[in-house]
Amino acid sequence: MSAVLDARGIGMTFRNGDEMTEVLKDVDLSLEPGELAALLGASGSGKSTLLSIVGLLLKPTTGSIEIAGRRVEALSDAERAVFRNQRLGFIFQFHHLLPDFTATENVAFPAAAPAGGISAAMRSRARDLLARVGLSDRMDFPATRLSGGQKQRVAIARALMNKPELILADEPTGSLDRVAAEQVLDLMREVNLEDKATFLICTHDLNVAARCTRRVTLKDGRVEQVVQG
Amino acid sequence: MFTFTVARRYLFSNPGQTALLIFGVALGVTAFVFITALIQGLAIRLTDELTANSAHVSLEPAMRIARVLPGEDAETASVAIVSTFQRPQIRPWRSTVALLSTQPSVLAISPQISGSAFVVKGETVAPVAVTAIEPSNLDAISPISPKIVSGDANLGTDGILIGARLAENLGLSAGQPVLLRTDRGIDRLLTIRGIFQTGVQALDERVAYLSIQTARPLFRLPEGVTNIEVKLVDPGEARTTAAFLQAATGLRATAWQDKNAYLEGALVAQAQTGKLIQAFSLISVLIGIASALSLSANRRQGEIGIMRAFGVSRSFIAAVFVLQGLLIGVVGASLGCFSGFVLCFWLATLTKPDGTMALPIAPEEGGYVAVFLLTTFGAVLASVIPARSAARLDPLEAIQQ
Ligand SMILES: Nc1ncnc2c1ncn2[C@@H]1O[C@H](COP(=O)(O)OP(=O)(O)OP(=O)(O)O)[C@@H](O)[C@H]1O
Ligand SMILES: [Mg+2]
Repeated sequence: MSAVLDARGIGMTFRNGDEMTEVLKDVDLSLEPGELAALLGASGSGKSTLLSIVGLLLKPTTGSIEIAGRRVEALSDAERAVFRNQRLGFIFQFHHLLPDFTATENVAFPAAAPAGGISAAMRSRARDLLARVGLSDRMDFPATRLSGGQKQRVAIARALMNKPELILADEPTGSLDRVAAEQVLDLMREVNLEDKATFLICTHDLNVAARCTRRVTLKDGRVEQVVQG
Repeated sequence: MFTFTVARRYLFSNPGQTALLIFGVALGVTAFVFITALIQGLAIRLTDELTANSAHVSLEPAMRIARVLPGEDAETASVAIVSTFQRPQIRPWRSTVALLSTQPSVLAISPQISGSAFVVKGETVAPVAVTAIEPSNLDAISPISPKIVSGDANLGTDGILIGARLAENLGLSAGQPVLLRTDRGIDRLLTIRGIFQTGVQALDERVAYLSIQTARPLFRLPEGVTNIEVKLVDPGEARTTAAFLQAATGLRATAWQDKNAYLEGALVAQAQTGKLIQAFSLISVLIGIASALSLSANRRQGEIGIMRAFGVSRSFIAAVFVLQGLLIGVVGASLGCFSGFVLCFWLATLTKPDGTMALPIAPEEGGYVAVFLLTTFGAVLASVIPARSAARLDPLEAIQQ
């Protein structure tokens, strides 16, 4: 089976006027379908930067990226948006739910926006996903009336809405307490196993890392270590 | 349309703030409607007053002015000299009146002899402009009978009507005899039948009315008249009618607008002042919309960033903000037109103690369609700036905020 993600020779240098910051130098990263990979490394080692590059939110200075068999580094801005919408899922440390919409509407949004409205099929899929993340009794709650952990679970459901091949999570448990973090982790693991969805998770949390099938550590802009299993 | 749903949710998200914004828009539109209705009302009142009390088209003998007659070559040219001794008059006036009376657009016709004279009382001499008319036509052009304050309007064969101010200056009263000396050097003793008061000082001091029969020998005009005054059903048609009559009769026809060019100038100046105020009220409305939407776009950076991250297009984000502008514009303009109409309508019912309108406002002339379209279109334009800045947000930066 071909790799879900195949990134080669990724280099990233930020330029602010005359000041150059080289964050990534020649990073190779490849993920097979169904992997649950942790991206580790000290603060400032470039984890979020690499995740943004892989998520087509940031263009690398050098390197090539192939996602689900498609070369993506040369795509236009609009093509990237469509690609993100159809193939990628995002979970951030701060959920960023749309406060003026219900849990169901938030989950359905990535499908509804390009389609021009929430269809009955979208609504029912959003409800299934919410049931799956344990929020059957909160489906029609406005996003603002959910707890932090509940919001993060809605964000996970939202990331799954368009059945993405690759889900990118940046510190998904970073703002949650122990118990909520554990629930979110269980959920990601479950989705990973049941849907064969591939995850790449940036984290400081060794507890998270321990539950992943692969651990990639960044140091000095390079991949320092890859631990399998 | 999903963008519409999102735009509506955004507006309802903070109802107080949205209500305040719409209130501001409505207030600006109300101001626009008020100033438009006031200026239009003022123009209507001024023209109405003028057209009610003066002729709409005046016919006079074609002007005979000195002019150069073309010669064989440029060197030789002759000049036609106009006699100023001969009094210009319309001799075939009866046929002109007959022609006029067949015109459906003509309301009233008054053949007149106009001339200059002096009213003499003892040592005092006062100049007057004499208007001599058929007694039956006294009120045809400018109603005089209702303005008689002493005596009556019955001219008879030796009667004269003078203004209240002239009477006061010369110490004259109705029933007294007075000597009239015309510019043809003819004196005649007439009886003051009535004294009128129009409220216009120039008229009350300098105008006198005679019957046309009385005036004929006084101005040495045994058959002709000096001018024919015409009132039309629609004063707005005066210029076209004047052009037609000039061509048909060979007389010089002047529309009331051209006799009162100052009025047109004043109305234009007034309209321009109005436009300035209208422009300012619209601009403040649009600045309000632009700044409110900019604040909203700024506050929603995080959400916009996440939408962009999961692939919502830039045009979707832009449309959400433009639609918000459109909704605010449509609702604000509708409310503003409504409240503007109600305000103007109420102001139009206010009267001064003498029963006339306190403000010459025309509620039906509020420019409603124009202000509605301008506000709506302007609101869309005003939302373009915040819409663009929201659509251009870098998702990564916005999420990290
Ligand atoms: N836009 C930018 N311009 C310049 N430097 C940047 C920019 N974005 C990130 N950096 C730098 O790149 C480095 C890596 O940042 P990044 O956010 O990827 O680290 P991280 O590994 O995710 O850290 P943390 O664990 O604290 O989240 C940092 O030193 C940061 O200052
Ligand atoms: Mg980070």
